[in-house]
Amino acid sequence: MIPRPQEEIKKLLPGDLAKYPFLPEATEKIKRLNFEKIEDILEPGYAPILERAKERISEALASNPPEVSYDPHKHDAGIEILSFPVAIAIISATASDYIRRRFALAEARRVYNLLRVEEEGKVIEIAKRFGWRIRLAGVKIGLEKFDFALHFADYLKSAAPLFHEKDWKLINRPVMKGEVYLSKQDVARLLQEEVRRYIESKIDPKMRPRLPEKIVECADSLKRIHAERIKEEPLVIEGLSLSDVESDLFPPCIRVLYEAALSGRHIPHVGRFTLTSFLLNIGMDPNLVIDLFRKSADFNERMTRYQIEHIAGQRGSGTKYAPPKCDTLQTHGLCPGMDELCKKVRHPLTYYLRKKRRKVGRA
Amino acid sequence: MAEADNILFIREMFSKFYSENVDKIESPKSIKNREFGFTLFKENVMVRHKGFARVEELRGFIKKNVPSNVYYSSAYYSLPEAKMDEKGWLGSDLFFDIDADHIPTKCDKEHDSWTCKGCGLMGKGRAPEKCPSCGNESFDEKTWPCEICLEAAKLETIRLIDILTGEFGFSVDEIKCSFSGHRGYHVGIESDEVLGLDALARKEIVDYVTGTGIDAVFHGLSEIRSGGSRMIVGPRLDDAGWRGRVARGTYDFLLTATPEDLRSLGLKKDVIAEIIEKRGAILESWGASGPWSIVRGLGIKGWRKIIQYGASLQSAKVDTVVTVDVHRLIRLPGTLHGKTGLLKVSFPAGRIEEFDPLKEAIAFKGGEVKLYVEEAPELRFGDEVLGPFKKQIITLPAQAAIFLLCKGAARVVD
Repeated sequence: MIPRPQEEIKKLLPGDLAKYPFLPEATEKIKRLNFEKIEDILEPGYAPILERAKERISEALASNPPEVSYDPHKHDAGIEILSFPVAIAIISATASDYIRRRFALAEARRVYNLLRVEEEGKVIEIAKRFGWRIRLAGVKIGLEKFDFALHFADYLKSAAPLFHEKDWKLINRPVMKGEVYLSKQDVARLLQEEVRRYIESKIDPKMRPRLPEKIVECADSLKRIHAERIKEEPLVIEGLSLSDVESDLFPPCIRVLYEAALSGRHIPHVGRFTLTSFLLNIGMDPNLVIDLFRKSADFNERMTRYQIEHIAGQRGSGTKYAPPKCDTLQTHGLCPGMDELCKKVRHPLTYYLRKKRRKVGRA
Repeated sequence: MAEADNILFIREMFSKFYSENVDKIESPKSIKNREFGFTLFKENVMVRHKGFARVEELRGFIKKNVPSNVYYSSAYYSLPEAKMDEKGWLGSDLFFDIDADHIPTKCDKEHDSWTCKGCGLMGKGRAPEKCPSCGNESFDEKTWPCEICLEAAKLETIRLIDILTGEFGFSVDEIKCSFSGHRGYHVGIESDEVLGLDALARKEIVDYVTGTGIDAVFHGLSEIRSGGSRMIVGPRLDDAGWRGRVARGTYDFLLTATPEDLRSLGLKKDVIAEIIEKRGAILESWGASGPWSIVRGLGIKGWRKIIQYGASLQSAKVDTVVTVDVHRLIRLPGTLHGKTGLLKVSFPAGRIEEFDPLKEAIAFKGGEVKLYVEEAPELRFGDEVLGPFKKQIITLPAQAAIFLLCKGAARVVD
């Protein structure tokens, strides 16, 4: 459950709940409608809700970049609100980590696009549901206008997945008297991350055995229909244990990126380039590099293959690219901090080769 | 006397100090949730995972065992005595370590020295990465808390406090300052706001105070077009936060920058000449809209480099590893530093400017000790300036004697 702030919360309208069905008020509304057991959804009268729930999931899987639609003319508020928890139940029944993350991202991106144009007051109400200490600021600093001020600790928590992007680093933000100043677009982007994390946490694959048979069937049929798109990531990436690619010899920057890729976390462009060019340069097979990015929620095999083959020098000018040197990585905020060996080298590849040589020397 | 006798002597002095000053040992907030660690004089190993329910127990332990160093965890645990992965991390203070070791000063060549552990080669200043003679990478280093180094560390601490109050909004009362007992300062915040911050969040705070990853384009530097002409605008000296700080750093840098300084930033020859030639106009421009548009040939890219360097002059050089580590052990205020015999002493952040570490950290007052001193630079304790010393027998006040003994630069003479 989203923590509720102590202070009184203003009422949001049903139309708002249709836009933001993850809010606690939406859950209360569902209770008031006597819709308590998931079995109820199988009653014929609720068919449009089940249909919209399935549609939400299909949209998440079929659109690229993933985004669930919002059209108040097509679906009434009640259907929008109720179909959201039903979709969560169905996805829990699929027990697919890929669908879970893809759906959370698609719903979160929908919320981002709604919030960008939302009334400031409502943005604040929604942010408070996530426990943010946020207020309207409306100040101009230099030539820029900042609508909101957010407590720095809340900023640090919510912006964490974005720190590797230069403009999200705390140092590149106006910070005054304990608050970070943000535009509405920024707040929408940070709330996107909150919503994504929240939805991911609500989907529980362990629920599958406890769900009604019809829901499980529904989940399985969705999986069949979208089998082409569902990239079930191999749990163990083969080849990485081969002696010529040893992840324990990676410098800290590559280790962070590598772990992010393995767990499907978002990596910015420069980070992807750095990781890819590093792995190719130490002799990893391009197909294995493609597999590494499979877990990413916005994975696109054709695009990834093209980029990787380009970096490998198999396309375009034929130039094989090397990863950026340390100070470039620092500039891009990709250096997580140096260890002893880092201080002696200027390039991540030098780090790897030195460590490898040392290891061979010991053996 | 042999080295063992020196250690016995130091231990005896420490023991005497603790028996007379046990109340000076401070209790960290929620002592029962903190892990404690000690090094002992006998065997130089760390005894850690210790816990104390009350400060009296801790004081009793220190008095009885006379450790050479006493540490506590910046973290709070449910079970501070359990194994690391079973302790149950509850949160951690936000902690900064400012040590002269991390601040380049010109005087380290004068008072610091190193000895290669491989071949015994000796040199002045900071140890090299590799021994020029044998290639070994391990050294015995001797560093000294000299006035210039301590002043440099204090300046960084003042900058840090300025950032913590101005930007992070902490009150001066929330900021706990102390002298480390050697070559630097510790700054800690125990506020609830910071307890739950993870390593990633702390890394952002470190980057913020050290100016790491700063880019001027996010602090007001931009190119605007009006009519047919382009104009560069930038931050002003009195802007808040890093905006003002980068402007002031740029001001300071351009005030004295030599052509070599500018060349090292990768600026072109004619741009360098233009900057030097227009130095007066640049200085004057800060009163109006700043120098951003008055140097011909200098665009956004060049200014970013200059500003980045200017920012480095304004940053607080803290030890980045310490702040990010949420399991760190920290010297306990009110205890003695085993390598100096000086007291780790805490003081209100508001007193930083007037604080004199070489006076207030004195633990041993009165008494004299006769010593043979191998080598030591000029030192000050309180109002007394001593040394330099080289291969000589001398009778020194107790604190100076303990200090040289702890440093391994002297031995007691009967």
